[in-house]
Amino acid sequence: MEEQQVGSLHFHIDFSQPLYEQILDQARSAIAKGEIALGDKMPSVRELAQELRINPNTVMRAYQELERDGLTEKRRGQGTYVTSSPEHVASFRTALAARYIDSFMEQMESLGLAWEDIETYIRQKRDTEQGGSDL
Amino acid sequence: MSTNIVECHQITKHYGKKKALDQFEIAIPSGRITGILGPNGCGKSTFFRMLTGLVRPDAGHIEVLGKAPSWQTNQDIAYLPDRARWYPNHTARAALEWGNSFLPGFSMERAIQLTDYMDIDLDAKVGGMSRGQEARIMLILCLARDVQMIVLDEPFTGIDVISRETIVASLIDYLEESEQSVLISTHDIQEVEGLFDYTVMMKEGRAIWTGSTENLRAEYGSLRDVFRKMYMKEWNK
Repeated sequence: MEEQQVGSLHFHIDFSQPLYEQILDQARSAIAKGEIALGDKMPSVRELAQELRINPNTVMRAYQELERDGLTEKRRGQGTYVTSSPEHVASFRTALAARYIDSFMEQMESLGLAWEDIETYIRQKRDTEQGGSDL
Repeated sequence: MSTNIVECHQITKHYGKKKALDQFEIAIPSGRITGILGPNGCGKSTFFRMLTGLVRPDAGHIEVLGKAPSWQTNQDIAYLPDRARWYPNHTARAALEWGNSFLPGFSMERAIQLTDYMDIDLDAKVGGMSRGQEARIMLILCLARDVQMIVLDEPFTGIDVISRETIVASLIDYLEESEQSVLISTHDIQEVEGLFDYTVMMKEGRAIWTGSTENLRAEYGSLRDVFRKMYMKEWNK
C-alpha cells in the first residue's frame, strides 16, 4: 500500500477495503490532528479523485459526510474549506475519542477483563513506552 | 439511481455450438461507472454488441434505456469499439469533424478541449498513429457527446502506460461533471479498479457476481484478488 500526498493531506488507500470509509476516516483524522489547518482549503473532489485514481462520486460522498460532521464547509464557487472553528474540531475529536474508547472497552471486556486489569495494562504500556508524555 | 439503464433476462446467444451468453441475467443502475469484468471469451463483447443491436439474442429479453435496442436507443449511446476503424488519410481534426457531422449530441468545442487535455496533435494523420493515440481519439469521440450512456469495450487493452493514465484521468475529470452512465469492459483491472462503483463479474456467458464495488470489497477484498481467485482455472489452462 503506497502513501499518497494530496496537498497537505496524506492517504493510504487499500483496494481490498471499501474506499469511502478510508477516505472519510483519513480525512477526519487529518483534520482532528491538525495535519491540515483550520480554515485551509481542502483539495477539490476532482483533485483527490485524480490523485487516488478513484471514482469522484466516492470522494464526493466522503466530503458530504465531513460537512455533516461539521469539520468542513462549502463556500459557494470556491470549494471546500476546513472549518475555522476550533470548537467544532474539538467536539468532533472528543466524540471520536469516545467512540474509540467504546470499541476498545468492548474488546477488553470480551477478554473478560475488569476495569482494574485494563488500567494496569494501560499503565504498563505507558511505562514501556517511557520518554513519552503523560498519555 | 432509481432506474436501470440496462436489463437482461435469460439471454442466450450461440455462435455455432459455442454458447457466448448462457441465461444471462443482469440489471445495471444508471448514473454509475460499471465495470464489466471477466477473461477473454466470457461473453463481454457479445453483451456489448447486443446493447447497440449489432447482435441479437437467440432467446431472452434485453432493454437498454428502457427500450429494445434500435437506432433510436443508439442515438443516446456513445460506443467505443475494441478496434478503431478510420479513413487513414484523415487528420485527427478531420476524424473529429466526421464525428461532429454524424454523431448525435456531439460537441466540437468539447472535442477540441479533450484533444488538448489528451495531448493529441489535431493535424497528425490517424493512419500513422500508435494504438494508444488511436484509443485516445476514439475516447474523445465518445466523451464529446452529450448522451445518456457511454459504452467502452476494452479501452485499456494493448496501449502504452501514458495513454492508459491519460484515459483514466480524463474519465475521472469527465465523470465528475456528468450524470452519464458508463459501462467499461476489461480483463485487466490494474490501476483502474478504483474507477468502478458498480461491478459485474462474468464467466462462461453468465454474470457470476453483480453489485456495488464497495460491497464486493467488504465481502471479498480487492477486485484484483477476487479476479485472480474467480478466474484461476481459466488462467492455468
